[in-house]
Amino acid sequence: MSKILEIKNLKAKIGNKEILKGLNLDLEEGKVHAIMGPNGAGKSTLSKAIVGHFDVEVTDGEILYKGKNIVDWEPEERALEGIFLSFQHPVEIPGVNNAYFLRTAVNAKRKHEGKEELNAAEFLRKMRSLANELGLKPELLNRSLNEGFSGGEKKRNEVLQMMMLEPNLVILDEIDSGLDIDALRAVSEGINKMKDGKRSFLVITHYSRILDYIKPDYIHVLKDGKIVKTAGAELVKELEEKGYSEFEEK
Amino acid sequence: MKSIDEVINEYKSDFDLFENDKDAKLEYIFDLGKRHQSLPEELKNDATFIHGCASPAWLAAECKDGVLILKGEGTSEMAKGMLTLLLDIFSNKPAQEILDFDPKNLNKLGIIELLSPVRQKSLQAFLEKVYMYAKLCKEGKL
Repeated sequence: MSKILEIKNLKAKIGNKEILKGLNLDLEEGKVHAIMGPNGAGKSTLSKAIVGHFDVEVTDGEILYKGKNIVDWEPEERALEGIFLSFQHPVEIPGVNNAYFLRTAVNAKRKHEGKEELNAAEFLRKMRSLANELGLKPELLNRSLNEGFSGGEKKRNEVLQMMMLEPNLVILDEIDSGLDIDALRAVSEGINKMKDGKRSFLVITHYSRILDYIKPDYIHVLKDGKIVKTAGAELVKELEEKGYSEFEEK
Repeated sequence: MKSIDEVINEYKSDFDLFENDKDAKLEYIFDLGKRHQSLPEELKNDATFIHGCASPAWLAAECKDGVLILKGEGTSEMAKGMLTLLLDIFSNKPAQEILDFDPKNLNKLGIIELLSPVRQKSLQAFLEKVYMYAKLCKEGKL
């Protein structure tokens, strides 16, 4: 099985605080990997490091995406190459129309891939159809990006972006936070539809609930800036019962 | 080969997506212009120049077995988009079908009213040239 992402001895800090302390992680192509861990373990920092978020400074180690070290790549280069992050807290951008924003992103990626750009009608048809599947109200498509959206609407909008952009590596940072059961189901169904045996997923979560819907192939436990355990889906049940205490430093 | 009415109906369903959003409809026309191809210089002459257009535009034609094949070039973004749309509708159609076509059917697209009076005049000039070519094609003079 080929690896889409190989993270080797990654050290990263936010401000002066070292968060990732020599993290190693391999993601296989076409598989769903879940990262679980307690608050402050470095889960969001890891996702930000992979996409090149300006908050995070990588101080050592490598992030190999399809065999290339992307540590020095700009965030937009990583996005164009097929890395997608669904934010834990999607930002509101007043004045930027949701549909225009997404169309610009989709067409920038298509252009990068040598594909013809989608015209406004092709784009709108596809976006409305997917928004309908996700239960996202059509009027939100023409509003400013995330402005005044509820928590659930923001997360559905993130999944809409993912479905439109058709990335190779999808990172979902606490996509389940703030979702009621109906929204969780809609979001999970959208994600499951994107599984095609080639696309890889990194699902970052506190809770096992979403993993009932998006079945992971591997579970990784992140604690104090390092992956401390990797196992199959059976680890979820164990973590539910015992929590993260067995990984406490003695 | 799709008929003129079939192509118009396809475009109508695209324009209908935008409901009353005039800017989106115009943007869609500009988008169409991205497919616009220039004419070879030798085809840009007095005979192909569309007189009465708001910006310089040319329309060249060939006739093959009674089918009219059109190629055009516009210079403004709007003209490029409209030409792409109109060539999709009228090019590669039997001359007789073009001659039988009632231009009022273009109103179904819901965009003609968005054009300024000057642009509407340009459309009229374009249509007159298309009909002239269709007539010549039918008469075997093209």
